[in-house]
Amino acid sequence: MSTPPSQPLLEIRHLKKYFPVRKGLFQRVVGNVHAVDDVSFAIQPGETLGLVGESGCGKTTVGRTLLRLYEPTSGSIHFQGEDVTHRGGSALRQLRRNMQIVFQDPFSSLNPRMTVRGIVEEGLRIHHIGTKAERRDRVEEILVKVGLDPTYLYRYPHEFSGGQRQRISIARALALQPQFMVLDEPISALDVSIQSQIINLLAQLKDEFKLTYLFISHDLSVVEYISDRVAVMYLGEIVEVATSGQLYRNPLHPYTQALLSSVPSIDPTKRRQRVVLPGDVPSPINPPGGCRFHPRCPIAVEACKTQPPPLVQIDGHAVRCHLVPGPGAGGA
Amino acid sequence: MAPADRQSDPGAASVPAPRVPVKGRGYWQETWLRFRRRRLPMAALCFVALLGLIAVLSPCLAGTKPIVCRYKGRLYFPATSYFNPRWENPIFMKDRFYKIYPKNLKKKDPESWAVWPVLYADPYRRIRDGEWDNRKGDEIYAEPNERNLFGTNQAGVDVLAQMIHGTRIALLVGFVSTGVAAVIGILLGAMAGYFGGLIDMLVSRVIELVMCVPAIILILTLLAILDKPTIWHMMAMLGMTGWTGIARLTRGEFLKLRQAEFVTAARALGVGWMRIILRHILPNALAPVLVPISFGIASAILTEAGLSLLGFGAPPPNPSWGTLLNSGKQNLQMWWLILFPGIAIFLTVLSYNLIGEGLQESTDPRLREAGK
Repeated sequence: MSTPPSQPLLEIRHLKKYFPVRKGLFQRVVGNVHAVDDVSFAIQPGETLGLVGESGCGKTTVGRTLLRLYEPTSGSIHFQGEDVTHRGGSALRQLRRNMQIVFQDPFSSLNPRMTVRGIVEEGLRIHHIGTKAERRDRVEEILVKVGLDPTYLYRYPHEFSGGQRQRISIARALALQPQFMVLDEPISALDVSIQSQIINLLAQLKDEFKLTYLFISHDLSVVEYISDRVAVMYLGEIVEVATSGQLYRNPLHPYTQALLSSVPSIDPTKRRQRVVLPGDVPSPINPPGGCRFHPRCPIAVEACKTQPPPLVQIDGHAVRCHLVPGPGAGGA
Repeated sequence: MAPADRQSDPGAASVPAPRVPVKGRGYWQETWLRFRRRRLPMAALCFVALLGLIAVLSPCLAGTKPIVCRYKGRLYFPATSYFNPRWENPIFMKDRFYKIYPKNLKKKDPESWAVWPVLYADPYRRIRDGEWDNRKGDEIYAEPNERNLFGTNQAGVDVLAQMIHGTRIALLVGFVSTGVAAVIGILLGAMAGYFGGLIDMLVSRVIELVMCVPAIILILTLLAILDKPTIWHMMAMLGMTGWTGIARLTRGEFLKLRQAEFVTAARALGVGWMRIILRHILPNALAPVLVPISFGIASAILTEAGLSLLGFGAPPPNPSWGTLLNSGKQNLQMWWLILFPGIAIFLTVLSYNLIGEGLQESTDPRLREAGK
């Protein structure tokens, strides 16, 4: 890492995002979806933070809220040490140049009426970067960088396969030379054979352009491969954060253990005890009191039903559970 | 469905990769290719194109004024005065010319020559004896005969000539009124769908309000208020009452597309709302909106014909198809006054409906996937 770890590239503090649930003739707010509930983390320059969890746990909302695509309900977002939570107008547009996103579905994330050139060039155009000819050259250059033939310049998205479309998506995000990219399940919608190509491309681009990633996925093995640190989310909260190696070797939270046990392995000696969680994820409109995981937790005790556990640090490994004993700190 | 991921090995493409960028087929090009394969909508489109041609060339097809003539040493184009009476050169109005060209051109200038329309007939007046060589004058209420293929009306005016010149009004009513409706509908629908909230609430209520008032009653009321209602007033009214369906559909499309990932991606790039609406949402919302526009043209033509039939349409000298029906309804024995304009209205409305249906089928993504 080039900069000291005291200055993270991106930091979010106590970020909350609630979506109002409206009902009836007058669209009265009858409740809130607690999509992201008090999430804090920091990403160091050059680092890849993996964010895993089941669908509906709020991972995508975290990614979009920290890019200011959703307005946060509360909490703050800091980019390069600056509070950008309430930035608007041209200051927000400047911020957009530094933070980009790649979406999950390569079919809905590209405008079907625009050519590849139009799609990749748009960022440059609206930020008034370069002349027309310079922009064209830049687009061609980026297409080559993401592994696409520059003769595809005037083709439309529907003429490409899923993998190629995802490369166009990456090219669009890369055009503005951002420092930070949110990768929102960038490979989940692709064929397995294409997934590895895209993962390798992302890793290669990261080195070449000194990028910092927030890698959102539900695929634990991919996250382990690409991430330096991994955060596990459950029902809008982070339940465990650790370096990739630590988390996979020594998962502390019962939810993480259950998640990891569900990863199939071809090596019989590496197979873990399968932990099957009972029931479904509770509704985020009305999350359970106490520890949010307690209704499904195999080791829950009385205290879990009433007291929400704090996120405690145990040698660089943070976990939110009453039952994880730590040296000195934590425990219940 | 999707071609193999070729970029993993770009050198090994089966065809030698072209070095110049290849232009891909855009959405509208693909839609056109699909539309072209449909026989009935395609025939309907040809019919409408033919009507357009007839409308533009109407003074050359039927008229009593030369298309081109040389008179007293200069060239004139008197036939254009069918589009605008002011375009007729004043020279043809003095010296007892009386706009009777065939007789007077020769009489006043033996050197003159002229190119005549296909049919010597006028949509505005009766042809008198001896106007054109030995052609006999037309009678009133003449049955279809060799001089008047579709007969004449109560004033002895040729029905075919009126129908040919009426094409102009029929097409104009369709396009202008639906154009007005499309502009209002797309604008309001886009605002309601994109901004939502209070704007959406207000626009939706206005839509419901306008839908509740029967268009024909509103038009009749407004035509009654106006001193001198013209066909343009009627078109404007038809447009101002016919936009609700378009607005609703546009609103729905915008509501849906506002959430699309490519719109989120554009916002992430820092694209402003104006550009998002115009470049990202509108081009994608337009295809479904085109279908009600096509149906709207049909219903506008029908409404205009209906109003003219009731006597509230284009003022009498205007040769609208509906006005012809109106003159026929007084005496049903004059079947040619009903039958021919009726067929014309029917075919035109049917054509627009067929085009609308064809558009629906060729722009619908589900049908597109099935066709592949």
